[in-house]
Amino acid sequence: MKSAASSKSTHLKKQRNWKRWSIHLFPIPALIIYGLFIVYPLFAALTYSFFEWDGMVRGEFAGFKNFVDLFTLQPFSDLFWNAFGHNILYFVLQMIFQNGLAFILAYIIYKKVRGAEFLKISYFLPRLLSVIVVGFLWKLILNPNYGAFNVILENLGLEALQKAWLGDPDTALIAIILINSWYGLGFGVLIFLAGFQSIPKELLEAGKLDGATGLSMVRRILLPLMVPSIMIMTVLTFIQSFEAFELVYAMQGSEGGPYSSTDTLAVYFYRLAFGGSSGGSSSAIGLGSALAVVLFLFIAVFTALYLKYMQKKQVDM
Amino acid sequence: MKSLKAFTFVGLLAFILIMSACSSDSGGDGDTNEEASGDQVQIEMGSWRTEDTEAYQTIIDKFNEEHPDIQIEFNPSKNTEYNTILNTALQSGEGPDIIHLRPYTPGIELADAGYLEPLDDLEGLDQYPEEYLAASKGSDGKQYGVPLNISTTQMFYNEDIFDELGLEEPQTWEEFMSVNETLKEEGYTPISLASKEAWLLSLAHGMIGPAHYGGTEFVDKITAGETDFTSEKFVNSIEAMDELKQYFPDNYEGLGMEDIRTMFFTGDAAMFPMGSWEIEVLREMNPDLNFDFFPMPSATGKEPTVTSWVDGSYAINANSENKEAAKEFLQFMTTEEFGELFTKEFKMISAIPGIESDDQLVNDLSQAADQRSTPYMILVHFAGGNPSTKETIEKELQGMYLGERTPQEVAETVQENAESWYEPLQ
Amino acid sequence: MNHTIWTKPFYYVFAFFVASISLYPILLMILSSFKTSTEIFTSPLAFPKSFTLETYRNLLEQIPFMTFFMNSVIVSGVSVALILVTSSLAAFYIARFTFQWNNMLFFFFLMGMMLPIKLGIVPLFILMKDLELLNTLWSLIFMYTATGIPLSILILTGFFRTMPRELEEAARIDGAGNLRILWNVVLPLMRPALGTVMIIQFIQSWNDFFFPLIFITDDMKKTIPVGMLSLFGEYSADWGALFAGLTLASLPMIILFFIASKQFMEGLTQGAIK
Repeated sequence: MKSAASSKSTHLKKQRNWKRWSIHLFPIPALIIYGLFIVYPLFAALTYSFFEWDGMVRGEFAGFKNFVDLFTLQPFSDLFWNAFGHNILYFVLQMIFQNGLAFILAYIIYKKVRGAEFLKISYFLPRLLSVIVVGFLWKLILNPNYGAFNVILENLGLEALQKAWLGDPDTALIAIILINSWYGLGFGVLIFLAGFQSIPKELLEAGKLDGATGLSMVRRILLPLMVPSIMIMTVLTFIQSFEAFELVYAMQGSEGGPYSSTDTLAVYFYRLAFGGSSGGSSSAIGLGSALAVVLFLFIAVFTALYLKYMQKKQVDM
Repeated sequence: MKSLKAFTFVGLLAFILIMSACSSDSGGDGDTNEEASGDQVQIEMGSWRTEDTEAYQTIIDKFNEEHPDIQIEFNPSKNTEYNTILNTALQSGEGPDIIHLRPYTPGIELADAGYLEPLDDLEGLDQYPEEYLAASKGSDGKQYGVPLNISTTQMFYNEDIFDELGLEEPQTWEEFMSVNETLKEEGYTPISLASKEAWLLSLAHGMIGPAHYGGTEFVDKITAGETDFTSEKFVNSIEAMDELKQYFPDNYEGLGMEDIRTMFFTGDAAMFPMGSWEIEVLREMNPDLNFDFFPMPSATGKEPTVTSWVDGSYAINANSENKEAAKEFLQFMTTEEFGELFTKEFKMISAIPGIESDDQLVNDLSQAADQRSTPYMILVHFAGGNPSTKETIEKELQGMYLGERTPQEVAETVQENAESWYEPLQ
Repeated sequence: MNHTIWTKPFYYVFAFFVASISLYPILLMILSSFKTSTEIFTSPLAFPKSFTLETYRNLLEQIPFMTFFMNSVIVSGVSVALILVTSSLAAFYIARFTFQWNNMLFFFFLMGMMLPIKLGIVPLFILMKDLELLNTLWSLIFMYTATGIPLSILILTGFFRTMPRELEEAARIDGAGNLRILWNVVLPLMRPALGTVMIIQFIQSWNDFFFPLIFITDDMKKTIPVGMLSLFGEYSADWGALFAGLTLASLPMIILFFIASKQFMEGLTQGAIK
């Protein structure tokens, strides 16, 4: 009797121990795949930035020379700040046109309008296309001589607005950012909608009893509870805006033209690391890697600060 | 128990993944063994010319008539991504056995990095003129590529429009400008050129520039360091580019290659400053189009010029396991038999001297390139540096067409860039 | 209450106006694919004069479309399964336990999104070569799983955090293990977020063309975007064929989405906490 009881208790203990440490196995599979195929190659490549490069041949250890060159040598430093400004504009406009709009639309759907299904699918449909296809499609639509967009303007009696949208340095970048928002809108709607739907109904009922309606309801009850999804979209948009590459590349090529008006840091990086896409230029692997490091540090620091701030805010609530 | 079950599931999944990964590997190995055992050598050939796949197959079939033991697979990748794909593979010790080299600096860079096999002992190399070989000669003076084809730029024009308006091929710059003026008055777009894709601008300058800076003579001087890009002659060539914009299509700042080609083959535009490789495309798009070319007339009293350069060479991967077989094929590429087949199939000018084409236009071009050729200076001599002088002039010209830069500023920026790396100018 | 009378119709008009902007370009793409190039140039907005499938037939004859399609299905399907399993385990760990290093771990996963992965392409290529994965679908599957993990963990962690802990506590008192809590209690409540992750990662793996471009040289192992890419270059002047190519590259995903969307959208709404 006694021995049976004690063995049962050790068994229970063992089980409890197992339960306690087994939880640490949970992140392991993700860590292995992520570590092997993302972290290892990226960090292996980051060391390039500390070497001199002669074309594709690695030379001597160069310390921080590439970093210094990036910010002091012309035209590299001008190109850097030019692209950096474009990334900031990318982020701001994406926050307004993609996320702001997505938040409002998600709220409308959440309020159960008729045709919600149709709306959700419509907003999301552009996201199904490949960025290459999106770029190509909009290039054809915005073509100044044969494209549909200028024809639509004409039909609306707005001939005065017709122009070469992607050829004019004043409009090219904004056009690309708006297309990116068109592409990403549905994803934002889904994330915000998932956020709205995760709000426990009791809290809303309680709010209603407190007399909160309409806008004040949104501000006092909904907005604080939406913090996680707002956080997700902000972090994501921030990272994606500063990594913006594919759409610019698909529509304007690796030069970020016209006259560098759509150049972003990631496109600039690509040009440095791989040479231009037209085949007529050589690469600067050292400078390119240095640029990637700078970009990484910038994004990492700001993301970390933002996350810290949001966490504090959440705790405060 | 439940949790254990789930763990088993995850484990099993991982196991399946690993197993199938391994099995697909061994399957791959088996394939290559089989091929090797049949005394067959497998050669892979890399290129950016996806549109030439069929034509290359004809060439390969011809080659196999004499070399049935060498199997060649032509495996091109998309033009804009070719450099990235090739460089990645080469840096990792892989890559195709036979490599289509970009002309001049980008190709020579691969040779200098040690990724290519020297070809000095290859028979038939001595038939090429020295300037053709220069497109793939390493900095060490060794030859790394077999020149494939010559590209030229010249002014294509729509014969029907010229006939209708009674226009003649211009012999001087003044005549050229008056042709433009007449065309414009008659409601045609005189010159189908646009500035959204920057590479078109250096291409056009390569052809229009010599008319003002005085052709090969200037090129010889600047490469010797006796003149520079801020000289009056060169600034004139940029100003001429600027002056021509009044004859470009509407909205030229937003148009690309496809648009200007379309304008020319639909007969909206009368002239098309473009490379010889477009002949095939134009014919395919509009078989009824009657077009011819004229060399660029000079503004300095010289002979009209056609700009020409080697547009690609073939090299062998230093890491290839089948160098001998690859050499056999490159050897074949130096033969007259290949040259004739190439001109016939590709409708391009072969780099092998004295090859005639059955296409009148290609033949005329080939002759013009022999007699009145001037080099594509920016590509041949100034594609180095970072950013390269070629990229710089492209971007600056684009800025000029957008009203951001004056011709003088363009010339100064180009000079500044060239000074930073080109020794004769330092 | 008054404001609802006028805001409701305004909501409607606004929501459907945005929807039409979302849909119109896609509709235009599909309609244009049935036109000839001249038709597109002269009347870009008009309905096609006749629906001919000739262009499509020509395109399909040139490429092994079914092979590309199957490759895409396998690659995207397996990647998504791997992403869901690995990411929900990791996100559950990060969101639900307060070990000191959890924030660090979360940030470590996010870092993968902050560097252009193209930077590491040479080490990656060598890695794939050493693992003998070049020219296999596995090279793509592992890459998409690895690149999908950061975003998925970001989304899932965010949503795991919002869930009330009471339900879990109840299950824990009943003696349920962590995996069982995750599987039986947490995940069913997370269906909106899981659905979002699933669909977004599926699309991402489906549409990528960079990795197949670098890792795959064998035509029979190519996925749809890469396979179609070569066509775009070839037909650059023929707008009719171009639009058909664009449609062809996008249609499988659109059809799959419509088949799955009922399931997916239901999941979205049912998952909401009552």
